[in-house]
Amino acid sequence: MSLLELQDVEVTYQRRGRAPVRAVAGASLTIGPGEIVGLVGESGCGKSTLARAAAGLLAPSSGRVLLHGQPIAALSRRARPAREVKLQMVFQDPYSSLNPRRRIGSQLADALRINKLMAPELQRARVIELLEQVGLPTDAIDSYPHQFSGGQRQRLAISRALAAQPEVLVLDEPLSALDASAQAQVANLLVNLCRELGIAMLLISHDLAIVRQIADRISVMYLGVVVESGPTEQLWTDPKHPYTEALIGAIPHADGLGVKPRALRGEVPDPAEPPAGCRFHPRCERAFGKCSAAVPDLISLDRDHAAACWLHDPEQAPQPSPLKDAAGDSH
Amino acid sequence: MSLLEVENLRVHLPGASGPVTVVDGVDFAVEEGQVFGLAGESGSGKTMSALAVLGLLPRRAQVEGRIIYRGRDLVALREREMRSVRGREIAMIFQDPMTSLHPMLTVGRALSEHLRQHLKLSRADAQRRAVELLEEVRIPDPEGSLRSYPHHFSGGMRQRIAIAVALICNPSIVIADEPTTALDVTVQAGILGLLDRLRQENGLSVLLITHDLGVMSSIADRVSVMYAGRIVESGATAEMMQRPRHPYTEGLLSALPHPEAGDERPLVAIPGSPPAPTDPPPGCRFHPRCTYAVDSCRTQVPQLVEVDARRLACPVDPLAVKV
Repeated sequence: MSLLELQDVEVTYQRRGRAPVRAVAGASLTIGPGEIVGLVGESGCGKSTLARAAAGLLAPSSGRVLLHGQPIAALSRRARPAREVKLQMVFQDPYSSLNPRRRIGSQLADALRINKLMAPELQRARVIELLEQVGLPTDAIDSYPHQFSGGQRQRLAISRALAAQPEVLVLDEPLSALDASAQAQVANLLVNLCRELGIAMLLISHDLAIVRQIADRISVMYLGVVVESGPTEQLWTDPKHPYTEALIGAIPHADGLGVKPRALRGEVPDPAEPPAGCRFHPRCERAFGKCSAAVPDLISLDRDHAAACWLHDPEQAPQPSPLKDAAGDSH
Repeated sequence: MSLLEVENLRVHLPGASGPVTVVDGVDFAVEEGQVFGLAGESGSGKTMSALAVLGLLPRRAQVEGRIIYRGRDLVALREREMRSVRGREIAMIFQDPMTSLHPMLTVGRALSEHLRQHLKLSRADAQRRAVELLEEVRIPDPEGSLRSYPHHFSGGMRQRIAIAVALICNPSIVIADEPTTALDVTVQAGILGLLDRLRQENGLSVLLITHDLGVMSSIADRVSVMYAGRIVESGATAEMMQRPRHPYTEGLLSALPHPEAGDERPLVAIPGSPPAPTDPPPGCRFHPRCTYAVDSCRTQVPQLVEVDARRLACPVDPLAVKV
């Protein structure tokens, strides 16, 4: 049973005097309890838009977002329905997501107060518990955000989301503003929270290498569509979509071998005018006739592993041979 | 003799309660045709060291030490003399090309203005040279690009244009401060390839500043790792990445995801956070976070000493401890 389910979600932004942009052009995802699903892609691929739709911050123009099988209502001027409080979001920049002029304790207590989770006299004890949960000293309660480093602030942002005792956390680039050592701390914290509290997480990131360390499953997005999804190790060692393969090949390795990462030719096209057929075909080294003519569906190749690529269509592919192992041959 | 030698560089910035030392006795050298890397987390002093080389620090900053470029000490130069070095001999590329390129000038104007000002080229020659520069950095349709504005280009293309601007006076050194941090990995790979080609084909020397050891590993010949204003370890990149000897270098590498390793390898975080520059701990500045720290680390400042073709500021060598 999936906790959060996105069914064919589309998000279109209207622009005055110009063609609308379909930032997300039909994406489906499911996340089960205690599962971390990574959503990976480059800037402009629609991953943050999808994250906002998943958290109910904006309404999909078509498709549905289900929490416990019930469609969620996009945030409006009125309060969220109580059951949607179980769906929380953490943002990229812990400098702008915390109020610089209020003490940490009162910012965390807000979450308890607004959601009427407990009596005021019990709130302080709960705030201390929340700080401990994310590995911060309890005297942080009387401090201001500027007294903390980036990594600590991100922990504070996470603890505020935890105040609502969420079942699902949507995290939009929670690690990318952080230095390497803080990044590892927060990444490990997320995994622990997920395992200990059974929270389901949707982790949005541009960094496939870090997502691979923490996610159970990964979906790769390109220009508004999911092009591949599968269990983390399977997707990493045996990518089925040329874009996933290119993403893996572009990661620089800190192994001292001096291997140059591989660049991907061309650039991400304007999402307002996506290429016909497979959206990746102008940059794909394996593209053939069919790719520019027809849109490939996301088809299941091996249990949970699915890819949207004509290479895997037995009737269409010029060479039926599977993609070579990208991770193995990159040296 | 190195092309650029920095000796015992100290940078003090004015703070609320007296000067704050953000670079504390840094030595490094950039060799001809090589990529030298300064690595470290934010606040470690790597950008301040680079800005000191170009004389671009805030006016009230105090700089001590020597920065020797082709026999001249840049620290002692007057601002007017510095202008003949900055941009001409030593150029700079910044992290965000959207802010380093003038948004209201066409690419052609940005390039030819420099060419005419610095090199006194005629309008036609400047135009021709601008096209050559854009070809050099692999901008598609260089002639057409001259009439475009920075916002017409993607982040990667803008960074290529910023590199073309840096190359105008044919400098011998380019300082690249986090040149790929704002870019996607697939685009980053292209920029790293470009810098590497310029080094190979034109003999350009690069002082590369980045927090990303993966980027460092793929392009730098030598690396110094900085922590809280000091260099803790220096050496050849391959050696450093494969056998880190300072506990901080080791910690940074263990905190990174390693794409080549199996998925069982967990991320090992360094406990704690870097100290504030206003309140550095005594002794080795890394000791409060170091798992190998012994009593002397708390009181004595370790000196950078030569160990097996490496320079290391740590009396407790993790390699020695482990073996």
